[in-house]
Amino acid sequence: MSANSAISVQGLTKDFRVGIRGLKLRAVDNLCLEIPRGQVFGLLGPNGCGKSTTLKIILGLVAPTSGKISILGYPSATSSARQRTGFLPEAPYFHKFLTGRELVRYCARLSGVAPSQLDSAVEEALALASMSEAGNRTIATYSKGMLQRIGFAQAIVHDPELVILDEPTAGVDPVGSAAIGKMIHSMRDKGKTVVLCSHLLGQVEQVCDRIAIMDRGRLVLEGRVDEVLARRDKHVITVEHLTPAAQAAAEAALQAQGAHVTSITHPRRSLEDLFRELVTGSRDA
Amino acid sequence: MLKSMKPSLLRIFWLARLTFLEAVRQRFFAFLIVLGAAMVLSSFAFRFLDFGHGELKFIADFGFGGLFFFGSILALVMTAQLLFAEIDNRTALTLLAKPVSRTEFLLGKFAGIWIVLGLFVFVLSTLLGVMLWGRWQELVILAEQTAKVAPQFSLEGVFSHALLQWFRLGVVTSMVLLISTIARTFLFAVVVGAMTIVAGQLQWLAQEALFKPAELNPFSHALLWLASRLLPNLQQFNIGDALALDPSAVATGAVSAAILSGGFYLIAYLFLASLTFQRREI
Ligand SMILES: Nc1ncnc2c1ncn2[C@@H]1O[C@H](COP(=O)(O)OP(=O)(O)OP(=O)(O)O)[C@@H](O)[C@H]1O
Ligand SMILES: [Mg+2]
Repeated sequence: MSANSAISVQGLTKDFRVGIRGLKLRAVDNLCLEIPRGQVFGLLGPNGCGKSTTLKIILGLVAPTSGKISILGYPSATSSARQRTGFLPEAPYFHKFLTGRELVRYCARLSGVAPSQLDSAVEEALALASMSEAGNRTIATYSKGMLQRIGFAQAIVHDPELVILDEPTAGVDPVGSAAIGKMIHSMRDKGKTVVLCSHLLGQVEQVCDRIAIMDRGRLVLEGRVDEVLARRDKHVITVEHLTPAAQAAAEAALQAQGAHVTSITHPRRSLEDLFRELVTGSRDA
Repeated sequence: MLKSMKPSLLRIFWLARLTFLEAVRQRFFAFLIVLGAAMVLSSFAFRFLDFGHGELKFIADFGFGGLFFFGSILALVMTAQLLFAEIDNRTALTLLAKPVSRTEFLLGKFAGIWIVLGLFVFVLSTLLGVMLWGRWQELVILAEQTAKVAPQFSLEGVFSHALLQWFRLGVVTSMVLLISTIARTFLFAVVVGAMTIVAGQLQWLAQEALFKPAELNPFSHALLWLASRLLPNLQQFNIGDALALDPSAVATGAVSAAILSGGFYLIAYLFLASLTFQRREI
């Protein structure tokens, strides 16, 4: 267990009892993870592979069956660990009779933000989540994307060192999720550690420094995104004005050097890029 | 000691405020306070029925009965509802991810609900006190004219009773909180909660039976003894008509005895609730 880790998980197992007969369901199976500080860490995996359960155990909201966890050097579930951690739950839901601003204020108070800094902390968090204006409306009137963003604001209002986001972009349009990606990067630039779960692999690839993939409660892969994804045996060359003659010449030249062209295609822009080119932004923003 | 507790007390305060806001915005609260008020006011009709001397007693019984009945329902349903809503809507997840301990969470819930119940008891008792006092004045004048003995009335007694009822509802709330931390569903918590309230109301019967051990076999004796220790005697709080209309009939120390034993159960239930809530999966 290195002191440098933001989160250290060792041999974590969680069994849920389901049904009246108390059958056991193993949601997390002997998981070991070291999440370094100051990076964006993505936890991936299919539905029901135990991502949310792992995050809840890390936060001390669910008790593990066995295993050891520490957050920023503290045992999880201690008040000092939580003081330094912010959490956005999956499909967040908040007291709907509060306004967004009141909610963030409550969370700031419960997290021990000093009264003298309360106003500035709340406004800063709302501004970062671009919820300053919508902050005066009650949460009952919020769209899904606004719920996610107010959830982000309440998670970071006390300036935590570690931010844990469970599917922060679920139900958010691409422009909104790009904005959330930006917020995550600005957290990292301030030296914070961000851990997130997501099913949007394209976005995870852009946002995360490291990823881990889980399947049926087990860890199947962990590493730096560029190391995991790079195919060091192949290369891509992008060319403009490629005439058939030029193509033939290039292929011949490469062949002469012993290289071998396996495919020539048009690069496609992603649907996401196209969408963002055409659409200006959500009305909520 | 006090200094290190200050952040914790502050968190409980903010959680209580949140609970209070949530509870008073519910239609259920408004509905019960209106029903209770309607019941108190409807006793106004009895003046035309000419009950003579028993009239004040009738108004008092009716009003205290309404306060007792609707207060119990409010404490039972609101406590279970607020805790289950918090867990089912996953708002508890957000709050408990903050540096808030589960004990603080429960105490905040309890305090918020108890303040709402205090509001309920205060509004209805004030209404009842004003009604009784007004009618009493009329009856005193009437008695002077007809040279009869004027009835007794103590406004102070109405408010001592309000304090007692508030305490009783606090005991009920802590009991329902304990049941709700164990129960899996709202319905189960409400049904078991209602049964325990009725049992608490009848607890004095068990106590009386224990004084006549000759009629009991050892097994039922043990069972009764256990039941009468696990449950508070809720009936001892219902001395409203005596306090208001016949203060001399109230045994000295009855009010403080009720508050003392109620306070013991209240603290014990909250302690147990916080123990069982630690393990609950949110
Ligand atoms: N409270 C619970 N009781 C019983 N089983 C549970 C409980 N919570 C989760 N599970 C089970 O544990 C497994 C892992 O659930 P979890 O929510 O961690 O999955 P996930 O990876 O977050 O999935 P998703 O991508 O759909 O959010 C699932 O099979 C789920 O049914
Ligand atoms: Mg999940």
